[in-house]
Amino acid sequence: MIGLLQADATLTGLLADGLYIDVAPPNAKQFAIVSLVDELDDDVFEGRVVEDVLYLIKAVELSTVPTKNIKPAAARIDALLHRALFLAPGYREATAQRERRLRWTEVDEIDKSIRWAHRGGHYRVMATLT
Amino acid sequence: MAIKTGRYGEVRFDPTGVGTPAPIPVVIALNGWKASFKTNYEDVTCFQDTNLVFVPGLKDVSGTLGGFWDSTSVVLFEAADAPDPGWLQLTPNNTEPTFFWSGKAYLDADIDCTVKGAPKVTSTFKAAASWTMAP
Repeated sequence: MIGLLQADATLTGLLADGLYIDVAPPNAKQFAIVSLVDELDDDVFEGRVVEDVLYLIKAVELSTVPTKNIKPAAARIDALLHRALFLAPGYREATAQRERRLRWTEVDEIDKSIRWAHRGGHYRVMATLT
Repeated sequence: MAIKTGRYGEVRFDPTGVGTPAPIPVVIALNGWKASFKTNYEDVTCFQDTNLVFVPGLKDVSGTLGGFWDSTSVVLFEAADAPDPGWLQLTPNNTEPTFFWSGKAYLDADIDCTVKGAPKVTSTFKAAASWTMAP
């Protein structure tokens, strides 16, 4: 799924500082974050058959960046993932869908003029194992 | 013998109803089964009895199977359409393959498909002949 996002030129063009798992590097101002919220496996007698993973996927942007891209970046993430059907090594297939849209603004505790915008959602990825 | 996990449970079904000694195919993509062997009792309590009194009738053998929809195995749905009973074999743990219950059974099938999750299948069975416990 991360490969799918990283391979999209439109999305990477909107995120000057890239896409990261869990934490962006210092000084990044316009990026996307993918983090694991919850995961549940489904098993049958033969073994594991489904991995059901809930991700938080969001675009993050500092208010001072010269070109504001957070809305189109979040929309592009949704366009790429919601109801997407994709393949991954070791899996028969995987599907994704957004379960919840998320949007909030984070104000820096020390410098109130610094604001971070967060736009994205909870995306559930269900992968069927081969 | 020991208490063992249900993780290696197994359901086998022969739609021809013959069963052993030929190998009985495993029904794939299942993750649970239940069987009930309850005997019906008739209440024959009479005047002056100091407690309820029962006499046993016949044992009812029935149960349920459950798992996920897998298009490579539609055994349960074919069984639901079959006019004749198949041979069902239920093993609690296939590392002890000699311990199982088996017999002819009629099966039905249900599927529950929602937008949030893998489609789940369930099936109920009822005995169509005498069942036995092995060994």
